[in-house]
Amino acid sequence: MFFFILTNNNSNKMFFLFILFFSTLISISSNSWFGCWIGLEINLLSFIPLISNSKNLLSVETSLKYFLTQSLASINFLFMILIKFSLLKNFDMNNIISIMMNSSLLMKMGSAPFHFWFPNIVEGLSWMNNFMLMTWQKISPMILLSYYFNKNFLIFMIIMNLIIGSLGGLNQTSLRKLLAFSSINNLGWMIFSIMISENLWLFYFLIYSMMIFMMISLFFLMNMYFMNQLFINNMNFFIKLNLLINFLSLGGLPPFMGFMPKWIIINFLLINKFYFLTFIFMMTSLIIIYYYIRIIYSSFMFNYFKMKWVNLLMKNNMSLINLSSFISISSMILSTFIFM
Amino acid sequence: MMMMKFLFMMIFMIPLCFMKNMFWLVQMMLFFMMFLFMNLNLNIMCFFNMSYMFYCDIISFGLILLSIWICSLMIMASESLFKLNFYFNFFLFNVIFLLIMLYLTFSVLNLLLFYFFFEASLIPTLLLIIGWGYQPERIQAGMYLLFYTLFGSLPLLMGIIYIFNDLNTMTIYFLKFFNMNMYLLYISMIFAFLVKMPMYFVHLWLPKAHVEAPVSGSMILAGIMLKLGGYGLLRVMIFLQEVNLKLNYIWIIISLVGGLFISMKCFCQVDMKSLIAYSSVAHMSMVIGGIMVMNYWGFIGSYILMISHGLCSSGMFCLANINYERLHSRSLYINSGMMNFMPSMSLWWFLLLSSNMAAPPSLNLLGEISLINSLVSWSNISMILLMMISFFSAGYSLYLYSYIQHGKYFQGLYSFYVGSSREYLLLFLHWFPLNMMILKVDFISIWF
Repeated sequence: MFFFILTNNNSNKMFFLFILFFSTLISISSNSWFGCWIGLEINLLSFIPLISNSKNLLSVETSLKYFLTQSLASINFLFMILIKFSLLKNFDMNNIISIMMNSSLLMKMGSAPFHFWFPNIVEGLSWMNNFMLMTWQKISPMILLSYYFNKNFLIFMIIMNLIIGSLGGLNQTSLRKLLAFSSINNLGWMIFSIMISENLWLFYFLIYSMMIFMMISLFFLMNMYFMNQLFINNMNFFIKLNLLINFLSLGGLPPFMGFMPKWIIINFLLINKFYFLTFIFMMTSLIIIYYYIRIIYSSFMFNYFKMKWVNLLMKNNMSLINLSSFISISSMILSTFIFM
Repeated sequence: MMMMKFLFMMIFMIPLCFMKNMFWLVQMMLFFMMFLFMNLNLNIMCFFNMSYMFYCDIISFGLILLSIWICSLMIMASESLFKLNFYFNFFLFNVIFLLIMLYLTFSVLNLLLFYFFFEASLIPTLLLIIGWGYQPERIQAGMYLLFYTLFGSLPLLMGIIYIFNDLNTMTIYFLKFFNMNMYLLYISMIFAFLVKMPMYFVHLWLPKAHVEAPVSGSMILAGIMLKLGGYGLLRVMIFLQEVNLKLNYIWIIISLVGGLFISMKCFCQVDMKSLIAYSSVAHMSMVIGGIMVMNYWGFIGSYILMISHGLCSSGMFCLANINYERLHSRSLYINSGMMNFMPSMSLWWFLLLSSNMAAPPSLNLLGEISLINSLVSWSNISMILLMMISFFSAGYSLYLYSYIQHGKYFQGLYSFYVGSSREYLLLFLHWFPLNMMILKVDFISIWF
């Protein structure tokens, strides 16, 4: 993100990026619920300048939609905090107020059933802004969720996330919307992990952000936004292999890195005896793998069109791509030396 | 220690795949590794060669030998990739990666690692089918392969982790001391292997994957990937014995009756590879029947039939590819009268097809006799089904032989060479273990 801001001659946005990072830290490390709310508001206010670009009408519209939905959620959150302080004097987590607070935080994250703004907005953002939206913006609502959650409500939301994330992506051709629905599905996994422990969530979140970063940087460098663009590009062999490995890893197939967080979460699911929920996790994961493989058809088939009008800039700068593929394949095996 | 050295030998063959002019050297190294592996100390009654996370058992030993053998023969059969310069470096890497995954599947002590490598072996197979196959339908075939297998094996992951949470151990050896008799666990554990075998109702991926795969993909699918299901069943059924005794009749009946239907369906096939694929399903149906009966002859018969079917089907796919490379068609209408042009190849067609129909002195015969013994001892009525399956397998093997070799040849042929030494060697190496191992079967049929 720094690299993008520096190279696009847009370094006045660096200030807002710094405030964005700082706001998340305010939110998750505050002693009082008001501090959390303040952090969320500063987060919203600093993200809007990052995504809006006054020369592009779609970008302005996107930032307006983002502002409206997120501020609605923030106001809701503030209101529920005040009700909790004034009316309820207990620490019980399974009541109606926790449902309302969780709902407002879920809406900030883009989780089902409040997800309708999320694919809309990612369609209007560039790849790097999408990366921030899908990874960094989820940190503070997740952690705030872990402070006061309603278990039954969240399990229902997890099921909705999984099903909507998997079935919603079946009819999409835009790569950004596909990654948005996969992000909604992965939110289901992350909400469950944060119900277990924050450490587990951090593990899942870090691996997920690393995989999303590798994919989004690949799409950003190739300037690809739609599925038909995957077939007419002069992708040479290593780029194809990297795409293949990253998507299979994100789907959670062994032997790639993405299998490990899913395996550990299934372990905790079965320890806590959520048998039917595990089955839903598995089956929606299958549907997700289906549309990932649809994206990587072009990498499976080795011969490609060599179009003369497509200029591939990446021929000389392969080291990052090779490194990321190598990490994805070998990290499972290397991690056995650490953990086992 | 003894098992890890082979793992490292295979890992260090990977850089060798990417150097220039190393195609045949990799194949020779795999043969070399095969001969080294055969010299391991073999103790038939227990687990041996145990080191950090590896072990070797009589079943694992035979199946690892089979996988190394088939992988080296895969490279020998794919010379056309090397000649046409079609990504043969990555092909060699794929083959060795697949061999590493299969080797690890058969030799790790931990049940979860077994699952990990079981799933990991799917990815190179998928790459082989979609990357080096030659028809547009291969995408659909790859989808079917991946999703049928994943649909079965994700509940297997759930079952394995449930076992870990209950028993606090994942070592395969210790599982025989426990009794987990739960119906849902039983279904989740064995469904993956039944899909992989494949059993009749979930067999649809197999003909598609075999037809669309290149010769190397077909060889490895028929040779080893189906046997992963059998191996998994043999490992997993130990701790589910009571449920097995109550419920196994379902799978025996489905697979035997299904085998009968599939054998009859073989007579309707026009595509050579499709016929061989359906015959694989019929053989595997008998294997499932033998394992599910859970008597000693059943296990022995299914193990022998797994090894012999791996060699025999793989050889038949090589033969089908030899015809395909010359006539560019797999159809029975075009591949007829081959005896007029390639009489020596017709010898190999006959030898491998006679092994397929379980004629003596092939190892298939011993497997089928043991399976008939075990299934008839379980129930007399299975005599009828087994009789029909064996009869039809003889029927379609002779049907295939006669249609391809006898009769008038297709007039649209131009010219092709009769049969290179490489192809004869390939077929000889398939046939020789198959028909000579019958002379000393005690190392695969006496377990205790």
